[in-house]
Amino acid sequence: MEILIITVFVVGYLAIALEHPIKINKTASALLTGVLCWTLYAVSHHEHIDHIGEELAHHLAEISAILFFLMGAMTIVELVDAYQGFRLITDRINTKNPKKLLWIICFVTFFLSAVLDNLTTAIVMVSLTRKLVPNKEMRMFFAGMIIIAANAGGAWSPIGDVTTTMLWIKGYITAGNIMITLILPSLICMIVPLIYLQFTLKGELGHAGSHKQETHPGHHGHGHAQVKGATAMLLLGIGGLISVPIFKTYTHLPPYLGMLLALGVIWVVSELINPDMDEAEKRPYTAAGALTRIDVPSVLFFLGILLAVGALQSMGTLNAFAGWLDVTLKDNRIIITLIGIVSAIVDNVPLVAASMGMYGPNPAYYPDHLIWEYLAYCAGTGGSILIIGSAAGVAVMGMEKIDFIWYVKRISLLAALGYFAGAIAYLLIQPYLAVHPPVVP
Amino acid sequence: METIIIVIFVIGYLGIALEHPIRVNKTATALVTGVLCWTLYALGGTDIHIIGHQLQEHLGEISAILFFLMGAMTIVELVDAYQGFRVITDRINTQNPKKLLWLICSVTFVLSAILDNLTTSIVMVSLVRKLVPDKSMRLFFCGMIVIAANAGGAWSPIGDVTTTMLWIGGQITAGNIIQSLLLPSIVCMVVPLLVLQFTLKGTLGEQAPEAAKKSSEQRVRGSTTMLVLGVGGLISVPIFKTVTHLPPYLGMLLALGVLWVVSELINPDMDESEKKNFSAAHALTRIDVPSVLFFLGILLAVGALQSMNILSSFAGWLDTALGDTRLIVSLIGVLSAIVDNVPLVAASMGMYSLDTYPADGLIWEYLAYCAGTGGSLLIIGSAAGVAVMGMEKIDFIWYLKRLTLLALLGYAAGAITYLLLQG
Repeated sequence: MEILIITVFVVGYLAIALEHPIKINKTASALLTGVLCWTLYAVSHHEHIDHIGEELAHHLAEISAILFFLMGAMTIVELVDAYQGFRLITDRINTKNPKKLLWIICFVTFFLSAVLDNLTTAIVMVSLTRKLVPNKEMRMFFAGMIIIAANAGGAWSPIGDVTTTMLWIKGYITAGNIMITLILPSLICMIVPLIYLQFTLKGELGHAGSHKQETHPGHHGHGHAQVKGATAMLLLGIGGLISVPIFKTYTHLPPYLGMLLALGVIWVVSELINPDMDEAEKRPYTAAGALTRIDVPSVLFFLGILLAVGALQSMGTLNAFAGWLDVTLKDNRIIITLIGIVSAIVDNVPLVAASMGMYGPNPAYYPDHLIWEYLAYCAGTGGSILIIGSAAGVAVMGMEKIDFIWYVKRISLLAALGYFAGAIAYLLIQPYLAVHPPVVP
Repeated sequence: METIIIVIFVIGYLGIALEHPIRVNKTATALVTGVLCWTLYALGGTDIHIIGHQLQEHLGEISAILFFLMGAMTIVELVDAYQGFRVITDRINTQNPKKLLWLICSVTFVLSAILDNLTTSIVMVSLVRKLVPDKSMRLFFCGMIVIAANAGGAWSPIGDVTTTMLWIGGQITAGNIIQSLLLPSIVCMVVPLLVLQFTLKGTLGEQAPEAAKKSSEQRVRGSTTMLVLGVGGLISVPIFKTVTHLPPYLGMLLALGVLWVVSELINPDMDESEKKNFSAAHALTRIDVPSVLFFLGILLAVGALQSMNILSSFAGWLDTALGDTRLIVSLIGVLSAIVDNVPLVAASMGMYSLDTYPADGLIWEYLAYCAGTGGSLLIIGSAAGVAVMGMEKIDFIWYLKRLTLLALLGYAAGAITYLLLQG
């Protein structure tokens, strides 16, 4: 029966990877895979149904903690975006020098994506680039670098990237520590490709059509008039997101509660900030309106795939696999480096979930251990190697019609250079920043 | 600290009940209330590991309800996108007001046992708009739809949030609740219908020609398939639970997954952008996510009170003060006309433990009936009522004058029926 479940998992995984050719939405495949794995497990171990029920309840609680965190974060970001809050940042960028502009854009992306999710950051920054870089050829390089910067910027922040967030929510890494150890490797991961382009990038930004300079191509397109409260919402939104790790440190409660609190507060403000608007006008600018625009299919996709990974974990399959990997490859660092590269092809969320199931909880891999930090780095940045390797990449591909092959030829090598440079940087500095194992009484 | 938490809870609850006057969305209030209750509890000095454990247990239980709801909502939206419900509603075409009322109520009753009450009442009110042009007659129809939708949901494990919660929580079993509540629920609807049979006066009114034409609009291919699959999927959820002993939300997600795949394959000749409106991804943008987060917030708050044992001591106090659990549960039903029934039922589940009150006991079944149908007493008492109020601009006072008494008669008649049958 275990073989059958693994087969279902692999077939489901293939269907997810081949979403476009087989024309079946990956969320549907993920939900079916997750439920089927548990169903087969339950039906084949009928005598242990109570135990299986407990395991499932345990997994569901952990998965939901991630999903409600994500839903909260997505809603806050959508709400700030509805008020065009991000224009306060992007409107300040107006240099004409391509190389200088590229550095500025990448750094803004890097720090924005440490606070927001990578997907939103990439969308906001690509919209901006459309306005600033009319030359199509040049713009594709900008878009490619935005992907690299968004992924690198997310990796070192507990609220910047789904995989780092997962490790943080489960307690494998702590907020302060991950930032200290990964910020330098993440910066290197972005700067190495930038330095390379500094010497090789040729061309002009191009001339903007006069109409393009005036309007902002906001990606939701509900009118261009700025609503009152953009600054307030931006500050509240970013303040709310940043307060989440503080909330956790202070109360020791799980991060999703902090996120929901932030959402609740911003929601109230969004309803009160424009008292002169009537209900219908107000609707797009309230959290209820923002909730219709968040990516619920992704939330259900994570639910399905994480349930499937949970089933494999409960059956002990992942542990056995980890044992086999350890024997075959010997060194955790090699395994994790490979996980990062694999994440360019398959989704990094189940990879990280599987790794957590493989190596934890285990006293040998205590919180802030090398493998968790390195995993956060690799799974967060490895996806840049292919355009389909990260949510940011897929979004940019859709927005700018970047070809898979073009990216492989022009950007993949740069991304790989950055990935390995950052990885080496981490492994070199890690001994100096390492947290020592907690003393077991 | 306990007192502060209770005060926060009560203020939050007031904020939710007074959503419209204070103009703050109830979801925002519920989220803040839920998080604050846990935060204060965590800062109050209890061992944080115990609290973390309790919170995780609650989150697991709450998510099981929420993902169930999200799955069900998406399936219903998807069937609706294919205009699948027209397959049923297009068949209704009598001109006799009383006969039509009976027909509409019966369809509502059966439909709402499978779908959620909200969708059922929206579908049925849209139909009534077409069939009953006379405004004052239509208001009676709408009021009865609210009563029928709530009554129809109460006896079915998949028909109503509160009955579903009790089912997911293991307080009731699917087969048993249907058996013991079907008759009381029917009585709850039929008694008002009988009264109206003798008192209802007037005609349906003349149909405007364009309204008649609207019914012959083109349907998308696959509406029958999607209806059958959707209803079949929803009905399969209790069966899935019985066979696998896995929680119902998994069955719901399985049904959603299957329906999703079919919806992507059913119209192969459509291009991506045409197809988009008929995909589950699009249906997901139309489901009521704010309600899901509202439930999350309010159930977290109730969970905090439960973890602190406030609810069980409240139950103890109620028992001594009122003496009879049947009386208490009846009052909960009446109360649910004013406050949301979801936290009421969650609180009751926290108040009475399964050890003292075993599954399928009187208190749980009676709670499912009372919390499910009591909301019909006021138009603001149930999701169905609020939706209909929005659609048909029914006045709170009009409902109070014309329908509250009818609803109360039905509620009491059904309750007596249940208690008699039980004895």
